[in-house]
Amino acid sequence: MLIHIIKNEWRNLRADKTLWLVAGLFAVSVAYAMFNGLAWTNFQRQTIAEAAAEDSERYDALKKQIVEYERSAPEKLSRFSDPRDPAAAGRNIGQKYAAMSPAPLASLSIGQSDLLPYYFKISTRSQQTFTANDELENPTNLLAGRFDVAFVVIYLLPLLILVLSYNFLSGEREAGTLPMLLAQPISLRSVVLGKIALRFAVVTVLALGFHPLVFFLIGGGKLLTAEGALLGAVLWAAAIVAYIAFWFALAIAVNAFNWKSATNAIALAAVWLLFVILIPSLTGVLVTSVYPVPSRVEMIGAMRDASSDASARGSQILAKYTEDHPELVQGEYDPNDAAARTYAVQETVDREVQPILAIYDEQLQKQQNLANNLRFLSPAMVMQEALNDISGTGNARYRHFLAQVKIFHAEWQNYFIPRVFQKARVTAATYDAAPRFVWQEENSPAVARRVLFGLLGIIAFTLAAAAFGFSAIRRYSAIGG
Amino acid sequence: MIYKIAHKEFIETLRDRRFFVAALIVGGLLLVSLALGWQHSRQIERQHEAAAEMTRKQWLSQGEKAPHSAAHYGVYAFKPQMPLAFVDRGVEAYTGVAVWLEAHKQNDFRYRSAADQTALARFGELTAATVLQILLPLLIILLAFNAFAGERESGTLRQVLSLGVSAKNLAFGKVLGLTGVLALLLVPAVLIGAVALMLNGDEAGEPFNAARFALLVIGYLLYLSVFVFVSLAVSARASSSRFALLVLLGFWITSCLIVPRAATDIARRIYPTASALEFAAQMENDIKNGTDGHNPSDKRLADLKNEAMQQYGVSRLEDLPVNFDGIALQAGEDFGNQVFDEHYGNLWNQFERQDKVRQLAAVLAPQLAASSLSRGLAGTDFAQHRDFAIAAENHRRLLIRTINEDTMKNARYGDTKYVASANLWEKVPEFQYAAPETAAILKKQSGGILVLFGWFVVSILLMIWATARMRV
Repeated sequence: MLIHIIKNEWRNLRADKTLWLVAGLFAVSVAYAMFNGLAWTNFQRQTIAEAAAEDSERYDALKKQIVEYERSAPEKLSRFSDPRDPAAAGRNIGQKYAAMSPAPLASLSIGQSDLLPYYFKISTRSQQTFTANDELENPTNLLAGRFDVAFVVIYLLPLLILVLSYNFLSGEREAGTLPMLLAQPISLRSVVLGKIALRFAVVTVLALGFHPLVFFLIGGGKLLTAEGALLGAVLWAAAIVAYIAFWFALAIAVNAFNWKSATNAIALAAVWLLFVILIPSLTGVLVTSVYPVPSRVEMIGAMRDASSDASARGSQILAKYTEDHPELVQGEYDPNDAAARTYAVQETVDREVQPILAIYDEQLQKQQNLANNLRFLSPAMVMQEALNDISGTGNARYRHFLAQVKIFHAEWQNYFIPRVFQKARVTAATYDAAPRFVWQEENSPAVARRVLFGLLGIIAFTLAAAAFGFSAIRRYSAIGG
Repeated sequence: MIYKIAHKEFIETLRDRRFFVAALIVGGLLLVSLALGWQHSRQIERQHEAAAEMTRKQWLSQGEKAPHSAAHYGVYAFKPQMPLAFVDRGVEAYTGVAVWLEAHKQNDFRYRSAADQTALARFGELTAATVLQILLPLLIILLAFNAFAGERESGTLRQVLSLGVSAKNLAFGKVLGLTGVLALLLVPAVLIGAVALMLNGDEAGEPFNAARFALLVIGYLLYLSVFVFVSLAVSARASSSRFALLVLLGFWITSCLIVPRAATDIARRIYPTASALEFAAQMENDIKNGTDGHNPSDKRLADLKNEAMQQYGVSRLEDLPVNFDGIALQAGEDFGNQVFDEHYGNLWNQFERQDKVRQLAAVLAPQLAASSLSRGLAGTDFAQHRDFAIAAENHRRLLIRTINEDTMKNARYGDTKYVASANLWEKVPEFQYAAPETAAILKKQSGGILVLFGWFVVSILLMIWATARMRV
């Protein structure tokens, strides 16, 4: 019997111009969003490639210069631009990039990737000197947000579902066809099930149908080989299906109230507004008020105070530092070595400002934890977090990147700073053996666990709404409100 | 007659509990967001004022020091809070809060506060501007979609029109009734906003606040009335109230959601900008090799030496009455400044062109016109960020020039041990910033204002046209 209902419903739906109109608009939106996402990840990939090229060209030039200078050094050569000077090499001219390449599915959700830097130019200076360098972007663009696939999914897909299902029962009742339908030997629940099952199938095909194309474009055929890509694609599809199911369950619940079609539309629009706009922005307010991150302007002042204090005590600090690090100087040290003093002072300043810097990380981490717990208040928040996570454009992967940068920065300092103290000449071999940053992708089972845990929240919402709908529908009156 | 209709509409709406609750929620959100915005704004302002004092103190207490080393130490400029920022935070979270003013280099603003937040911020901040631009139009649609279509369905439209009421009067009566309901929400908000502004104004002392606040109110009234007129027009022509609602929700989604995002990507495509990497490389190259590629820095230095010696008729740099080191440093600054002006100028022009695309796209989406005007008047748009960035950069140039002039006058050529006395730092004035005047802002916003006004006129005409041909 169910199959008859579905067949009949498909004929009705097909005859309705609304389906084709909204399906067409949706398809155009997805295509445009895909195009934007790809343009952005290509821009990032190209920038990272340019950085790598600049890096290797510069290194070649430095090595050539060393050979030249060994033969005859120029008369007035500043030590800041002498490739043989370890301080210059580690701090200025020999800097290397550490980059986080976009994940395989990055073009689907731009997420935070337009806001947070995706590469750093590492030097022996303190970490905060290079981690605050952002990509150039019009702030109005950042404010408005991008038209990416995640936007289409989170904001527009529910609206597509609502347009197709807000009156799936009330419409038949208002047209007077529902009593006739129920005169057949079928239950109202079967009718509901059939109507929703068909719509669910149509929307799912529509929403996922484009995605094989997306994956093909992104992977360029390498989809199956890119690490984590296949798992990501499966998770992406699972998230979308769960989200679609949620909105259909909501449509059932609202239709079960026996309201007029226009009232259903208002109720569903209100729920959409609540879940997609209001709860997320109110949660944002809550999260930032519970764990406020102090303004960075205070950090700037404190860092400068610490730095001028330490600079004033430069010689003292250097003496103490060499005492603590006898391995660096082997016996005696040069109290007038400006480069060595710089690092001794820098180390002191870093240690002093560490507690201040830690506040920012801690508060943000607390915000993130609270946001993670509160995301279950709205399926839209779960989706944002999940889609960013799958695409690798959320805060989690960025933190993963920062952790690796921290390790690499330490390696970099450990490579060059002892050479500064020992006044060891930098040779071509030193440059060749300098540490290189190798990006380690996030552990994908861990990402999958996070995403699936979030989806459980959406599924719980879905089951609750569907259960309510199916139980309330028993009291449905097929002829009047 | 119009007043009777308006009165009836007003009473009827207030009696409808659902709309009453919706209006209460939106009104509540408006007041809460104003309060939160005001508190946030005050807090930022206090922090930035304290920071400005601190950077000044740090600068003055450098003691005896090599002047060029002081120039490298520099000062920071912190973005001030504009008095109306509590209504619309605009791009503030995305511009960075501070810029370091140091020798040789025009720096970018650093520390975008949005980067210190979770991704939730990207759903949009809850500010009065959000409530006014996004939520109130939706409330208007809910209040008005039924206005004619609902009366038609219940049969009262025919009766009312048979009494001899003209369709136009009926329409304007309904407009007035709706206005009355909205006034219940807006008047308290405007009053609270005005009080908050006055409390802010005490400290900021900015003279055009009242005028600007009034313009902001007028801008929002124009914007909101577009939704009133369009809703009534659609309600008058739609075949059913259900259909009217769907069309209006479609209009709202297009205006508030789809077009603003789509316009961003289109604007980026039409007016692309370089990556930070490329941008920095170009500037470095121009400084090293000259803007035309045929004027490398060592040649420029040699020319400068000859020029200086000729000017004073001496044959050795040591014999110059001024210190050549200072001259060379300043010449390097002057050349760099040209390069910065060109590159930052091009970049920022490109950003402003992107914003122009958005103003143009407002033809499809009135929200874009309203948001642009609102940011402009609140002083939180990109153009005013640029104005501040230029002022900060000019201060940097003044600071460095003052320092270099001291080196020119007081240091001997080649003396690397020279230290300036502790009172040199006071010769650099404290950084003061005067925000652009309202007239200048309105000029910048003229495109957006024109489009908003166009929407207003077209939507009135649309309503008159639609009600004259109303389905009965």
